[in-house]
Amino acid sequence: MAREAEAVARHGGLARGLYGVWAVLIYVFLFAPIVLLVAFSFNANQYGTFPFTGWTTHWYGQVFSDYQIKDALSTTLKVAIEVTIISTVVGTAAAFPLVRSRLPFRTGVRIGMTLPIMIPGLLIGVSLLILFTSVFHFQLSPQTAVIGQAVYTTPFVLLLVAARLQGFDPALERAASDLGANTYKRLRYVVLPLIGPAVFAGALFAFTLSLDEFIITLFLIGGHNTLPIYIYTQVKFGITPEVNALASLLLAASLVLIALAFVLPIAARKARRSLRPRRA
Amino acid sequence: MSISERRLSRSDLLKAGATGTLGLYLAGTARGGTLEIEGTTLNWLTWSDHYANDQLKAVNKAIGVQGRPTLFSDNADAYLKIKQTGSQFDIVSADGLWVPKYVKSGLTVPFDLSSLPVSKQLYSIARNFPFWKAGSNYMAYPFSWSTVQIYYNPKYVKTKPTSWHALLDTKYKGKISLENIPTDVMAIAGRATGAKKPYNMTTAQISRAKAFLQDFKPNVLKLASQNNEVVRALADGSAWIGITNLGTDDRVKDAGGPVVKAAYPKEGTVGFIDSENMIKASKHRDVFEKFINTTEQAPWIAKNFLTNGRPLFNEKAYKILVNQGHGDRARRLLYNRPDLALKMTIKGPAGNEQAYVDAFNEVFGA
Amino acid sequence: MEDVAAPVTPARTAETAPGRGVGAAVGQYAGFLPALLLYGVFFLVPLGLIVAYSFWQTIDYEVVHDWTFDNYRYFFSVPTYAHTLWATLWVSFVATAITIAMAFPFAYWLVRYVPRRWQALLLVLVILPFWTSYLLRVYSWINILGPEGAINRFLRRIGLIDQPVSFFLYDRPAVILVLVYLYFPFAALTLYASLERFDWNQFKAAMDLGAPPRTAVTRILIPQMKPGIVTAVIFVFIPVLGEYLAPQLVGGARGVMIGNLIVNFFSGAQYTRGAAAALLIAGLIVVLLVIFRRSLQVEDAYGTRG
Repeated sequence: MAREAEAVARHGGLARGLYGVWAVLIYVFLFAPIVLLVAFSFNANQYGTFPFTGWTTHWYGQVFSDYQIKDALSTTLKVAIEVTIISTVVGTAAAFPLVRSRLPFRTGVRIGMTLPIMIPGLLIGVSLLILFTSVFHFQLSPQTAVIGQAVYTTPFVLLLVAARLQGFDPALERAASDLGANTYKRLRYVVLPLIGPAVFAGALFAFTLSLDEFIITLFLIGGHNTLPIYIYTQVKFGITPEVNALASLLLAASLVLIALAFVLPIAARKARRSLRPRRA
Repeated sequence: MSISERRLSRSDLLKAGATGTLGLYLAGTARGGTLEIEGTTLNWLTWSDHYANDQLKAVNKAIGVQGRPTLFSDNADAYLKIKQTGSQFDIVSADGLWVPKYVKSGLTVPFDLSSLPVSKQLYSIARNFPFWKAGSNYMAYPFSWSTVQIYYNPKYVKTKPTSWHALLDTKYKGKISLENIPTDVMAIAGRATGAKKPYNMTTAQISRAKAFLQDFKPNVLKLASQNNEVVRALADGSAWIGITNLGTDDRVKDAGGPVVKAAYPKEGTVGFIDSENMIKASKHRDVFEKFINTTEQAPWIAKNFLTNGRPLFNEKAYKILVNQGHGDRARRLLYNRPDLALKMTIKGPAGNEQAYVDAFNEVFGA
Repeated sequence: MEDVAAPVTPARTAETAPGRGVGAAVGQYAGFLPALLLYGVFFLVPLGLIVAYSFWQTIDYEVVHDWTFDNYRYFFSVPTYAHTLWATLWVSFVATAITIAMAFPFAYWLVRYVPRRWQALLLVLVILPFWTSYLLRVYSWINILGPEGAINRFLRRIGLIDQPVSFFLYDRPAVILVLVYLYFPFAALTLYASLERFDWNQFKAAMDLGAPPRTAVTRILIPQMKPGIVTAVIFVFIPVLGEYLAPQLVGGARGVMIGNLIVNFFSGAQYTRGAAAALLIAGLIVVLLVIFRRSLQVEDAYGTRG
């Protein structure tokens, strides 16, 4: 393939080695605080700091019996899924006219649509709070938080999908059209499958952002709690390693999901291959 | 990889993702559902030291009312939240002179304190705060109190600081930690500069307070967003002096830190008197009294003291603590002296909050 | 498989564009509808309210609809805010520069030296820390940098020091370090996306023509990466400007950023002052975006730039 970096002769082993070392350092940098986080979830010291006063799984037990955590976790997941759906649909739909239509002031529109991620989240939270309470007189609830988060995450989906659409080879669509496909068929069988990974990446990003979203949610969630808010409140008067245990469990869950996402397709392919009749 | 194989793996990925997501969603809905079936839920806007998880669980078991706490960071913040969100919250923990403000603004409702059996466990002085009286009713159910004083590490701080001005000493450069609550910090500065009403200062008094803070600023290590950050700073030695609530010395020791001692500045200090208040727009007002009656029972209050280490107003709990052998600690932390709560400047709304925040920002900006 | 020849001229797409006429025009823009609803009602309208708030007053914790310029005038009447903003810009600049400098070699490594099928996994590992809590990640850094933290303990264990070094916790360097940590994934992902689309054939051609690798990088790779780099800069610099949580946790009194001052207004129920401050910052950001609008330019299917 033309774009494969492998097509280019590599530098000597030295350059490769140096880059590799840098990558390792980066991962160490990224995960050092995480490793510490997990380690402290087993720390008997109830302040979640050094020194290590002993090893215990007591905090994990607390996590499972804590109804507030369950409440916060379920709210967080519900919100994250709703936000992901909304921003993926809205963002993907908006990416098409942004890239494909002859729009005047296209850059202006693009700036406008990415504005929510540029201005401080505080502003989005406060402005929506005023809108909901003083103008609409709505109750604050996870639903209002969903709206606030969606405003923030949609631009990410939009940018990711638009970037992919921009690099989309029009020849493919033209070929399909030449073969008799109408707009719908072109979308369904040519465009969407090929921008699929970008849409998926956008959805994943939106989901990730929503899970840890704190500032906007704090203003809009009312009496409910999401995990980031729960953690913030726990930290307020005395962080116990219970929060560390919670974070470690979430990390473990995401690792499992990632492992599945990568292992499943390979396993599925292997299964298919073994089922396919061997060629003579 | 051929195109078909690549697409296969991608659709598998999407399918796996979709299934996983659906599973998560259903799991989330299921758990969320059970919470609502168990009786009434009371939304409680409060500080994190007003409750314990096992306490809420036990109360729910006993009377079928589930308290659901939401925390706030500043009294003004809580006030605004209640104003904006109407019936979303059922109980709010209001502080000192904020209580009458809530009532005056029509946000909370006074009630007959004596009709609550648990109120008999309170110190009589707590049942008769003049600023919480509303005819024959009482505006709030008293919970806890504390002065804000100086805690210092005697290893580094050789002379006991008996005045706010002692903290201006250049020896303490970058060694003091306190909480980032602009109104209260300004009030302390007001106290230090002789303002009669630290929460209602004139423009001149605000300038004097601001000047004090400007001299104070180089000694500030950290304006903490949480109380426990002050504890941590004292515990790991980053800070030699903390300006914070009662019980910090115990908490620092628990956190594996050094011995710190308390000092009371001669100019006086501010402090909080926390309480639980019934919100007017709440849909569960009938449940409020039942909930308070169960949650504020002496055994729970005694436990609360042992965890948080600042005085509370439940006298029966004090007796429990003495019986359990914690009498010395309780007395050291002034549990049996609720009268001292009236000697401090009680926190409350500022007469000109904007000027307070302006001044604070002007000092502590970069 | 043969290399695809020179890219097909985009102009031809017009012939097979999804139909012509009014219906087609509507169909073209239909995709904007949901976005218009979401942004219109839940972004622009609230923003308008905030603008109104910034011209009103807060008296006794109530918003009073008295129109005034006082809020804006205030921020220019004392030097603190300009000073803090300048410090914030400086911190953001340094943090962004370091982040990009760290992310670029990483992205390069990922695209050049890692087999394609492992790239996604390694990228996901970069985002993985996001799946824990922001607060806890920052707190973890206090556990690393503090006087009783990992670094100091290590240095004491190996005998290099016997008193804990304050290791610039609760000061600006700590803020920069933590911000770099928090925003590295943004930069890495953006740079990766841009690098990934780079046509390495050009690289190969240059080297075939005798250019040493470094020249190929500087004369061919970097210029084409410029939009990607600028996008990464925007994705890091601008959010960092508005940060307040990390500075509050690790910055101490010396690491204050403009976001901290704005938050003080909101927690003190001074929404009108806070609104003006937040809008001033947002305005600054919009100005920056307009200056750098070239990198956000969109090339449409007809090859024209908007």
